Amino acid sequence: MQPPILEIKNLSKAYDHGKNPALVNFSLGLNKGEVLGLLGPNGAGKTTLISILSGTLRDFSGSVVFKGMDLFADRQLRNQIGIVPQEMAFYEELGAMENLMFWGGLYSIPEKELKKRAQDLLALVELSSRAKEPIKKFSGGMKRRLNVAIGLIHQPELLLLDEPTVGIDVQAKVSILDIIRQVGLQGTTVVFTTHQLAEVEQTCSRIAIMDKGIILAQGTLNELIRIVGEKDIVIVSGEFSADRFSDAIKPLIHNDIEILSITDNEAHLAFANSEGIPGMMQHLFQQHVSLADLKIKSPNLEAVFLKLTGRSLRD
Amino acid sequence: MSRTILIIKNDIKRRLKSPLSTLLFLIIPFAMTALIGLIFDPGAGGETKLPPIKVLLVDLDQNIASKFFIGAFDQKQLKDMFQATTVSENEGEKLMKKGKASAMIIIPERFSLDLADQKSVRLVVVKNPSEEFLPAVVEEFADTMAVGFSALAQIFADEIKIIKLVGNTSLEKISFAELTPFLEMSRVKIMAIKKFLSPLRIGLKTSVMAKPGQVSKAKGFNIFAYILPGMLIMFLLFIVEASMREIQSERADGKIRRMMFSPLTTHELMLARIFSGWLLGLLVCSLAMAMGALVFGIDWGDYFWLFILVAVTCFWSAAFFGMLNAFFRNKNQAGALASPIILVSAAFGGSMLPLEQIPSSMRWLAGFTVNNWFITGCREIGAGAIPLVSYGVLLVSGLLFGLVAVMALQRRLTT
Ligand SMILES: Nc1ncnc2c1ncn2[C@@H]1O[C@H](COP(=O)(O)OP(=O)(O)O)[C@@H](O)[C@H]1O
Ligand SMILES: [Mg+2]
Repeated sequence: MQPPILEIKNLSKAYDHGKNPALVNFSLGLNKGEVLGLLGPNGAGKTTLISILSGTLRDFSGSVVFKGMDLFADRQLRNQIGIVPQEMAFYEELGAMENLMFWGGLYSIPEKELKKRAQDLLALVELSSRAKEPIKKFSGGMKRRLNVAIGLIHQPELLLLDEPTVGIDVQAKVSILDIIRQVGLQGTTVVFTTHQLAEVEQTCSRIAIMDKGIILAQGTLNELIRIVGEKDIVIVSGEFSADRFSDAIKPLIHNDIEILSITDNEAHLAFANSEGIPGMMQHLFQQHVSLADLKIKSPNLEAVFLKLTGRSLRD
Repeated sequence: MSRTILIIKNDIKRRLKSPLSTLLFLIIPFAMTALIGLIFDPGAGGETKLPPIKVLLVDLDQNIASKFFIGAFDQKQLKDMFQATTVSENEGEKLMKKGKASAMIIIPERFSLDLADQKSVRLVVVKNPSEEFLPAVVEEFADTMAVGFSALAQIFADEIKIIKLVGNTSLEKISFAELTPFLEMSRVKIMAIKKFLSPLRIGLKTSVMAKPGQVSKAKGFNIFAYILPGMLIMFLLFIVEASMREIQSERADGKIRRMMFSPLTTHELMLARIFSGWLLGLLVCSLAMAMGALVFGIDWGDYFWLFILVAVTCFWSAAFFGMLNAFFRNKNQAGALASPIILVSAAFGGSMLPLEQIPSSMRWLAGFTVNNWFITGCREIGAGAIPLVSYGVLLVSGLLFGLVAVMALQRRLTT
């Protein structure tokens, strides 16, 4: 097997003079051509990780090896990485083509070649017809697409995207994920961060779940789902507080029923055997916990996430 | 270097693409000149913002016309502007030597009688050599008065002959205030025929204490030439600071992070930013100075040396605010700290108060402000000199700030 293209080892970073840890011995390996989804709730440390990799955040410990070399020792090495920041990092008063020419120009790509690449990228992100318009007039989704295109202008071997789908509508998200898949198919290694489960489920060859600065689990979708086992996920909701529900359900907790998460008005439980569900309902009724709704789902990434972090993954 | 040029080109392109914000910057000089015009245009009846100027009056004539002249300083509007003291010639000279007043006006003997005889008379203005601005105002005022007296003497030639009849008898009873309505009535008449009055009966003889005999040109003073540079440098600082704040916004919106991922280095970036700020400052400054020449008739002096002064001043401003913005944590901090810095430097550097009027105990502080070096530079060029000291100070400190800016940005971007 080939050595990994990127190897992050024991990366630690804390803000506010060490009081606020954002990454804690974070380790992750990445193989060439992989599309890795880095899933984590807000504040998990995703942006911190991308910032360290992009060289704009110092005072961390640990090592990052890219293509067998220390990433931070060699500036030219970093130039082979493409970055798509969480922010719309381009000049809104200029057009899409002008932006691509500017950002590409920083890499000293010959003008003719640069122009060709820019045109190809505009086609990839479906902005060819609006190449000259000022970006100010673009929709959120179009801006996100351009943001991705700029990250690709120097044909990086590794592309890092920080929440590329945040704040846009469903259709625009689908289109961004489509672009990411295509980039992956062309042989570029991709890491993208998100706090949305559906995105990694659809897009990635491998998924890593992180929270509070560490990786909790990683693998393919199927590997991860095996963490919760072949269990049914039951979501109950109603007029109850988290404490009230915890107390009420306690006597039922044994190997067959597992608590994934409990919040006010909603609880996620995993059942090894769905025959236990009516008994649970009856028990709750006797405990005067009134349920308004109950859903049964087959095991999914959300359940894995809940089990690992104990909290729900919402915006 | 090619990347620096790429960023500069891109900046210019952006400025042209969104001309509104750039236009806004360019409008400032126009607004500024209009503002100055409003404040100092006597026709608008606006009060001058200057504190009273100390003037010594020496009355060697002691007759009706001189009483008139001295009485004029008792008028309300003039009282706000001048703090006049009547003194004997000896006393006056002593006080002037001590620098106790900005100027001394000497009304010569036979002033009234000569005026009545339609002979040419002269008012002598002795200026304090350590001040430039205030004595010039006095001179300007005396000049205006002289024109007025000239007019009176010609229009009311017959009436003025009374002076001769009355002779040297005391005229304490006649006050200027009593005559004001009469003067007011004839003012329109005076204005209308002013241009036909020639030659003027009253001339103005100016001398500077330290160099007796040197007579300055009566028309050489232009109040705007003294005010505009001070205002201009203050506005320039605000404008350049606003453009250098781009360092902050580009850091906040991820553009700089994206740039740092490319082969672009921090010093290439800072160089480009400083150049862009410099270019904008140069544009605004040139425009304001052209306006000053066209609207207020300011004679700036040699345009080549003026351009050099403007160029180094804009460079200094861009480098200085480049440095501050590299130090500042974020846009808010930049906004909160930059304005006080500009205002303090305006206050001590001669933008708000003429340098002459800053108490001498604080005058030395001016040397630490760009305002001072720019204003004195403008004056020196206006007087036909080359402000080598201003060039040197601004260039050397500007280069220093530029260097620190690069280092600060490097630190800021990687921690
Ligand atoms: N510049 C900063 N200064 C102090 N704390 C920060 C800073 N940036 C991030 N943090 C903290 O570090 C943690 C991780 O943040 P971040 O990497 O932005 O998470 P994510 O991108 O996954 O939402 C959070 O607790 C956040 O509050
Ligand atoms: Mg983030």
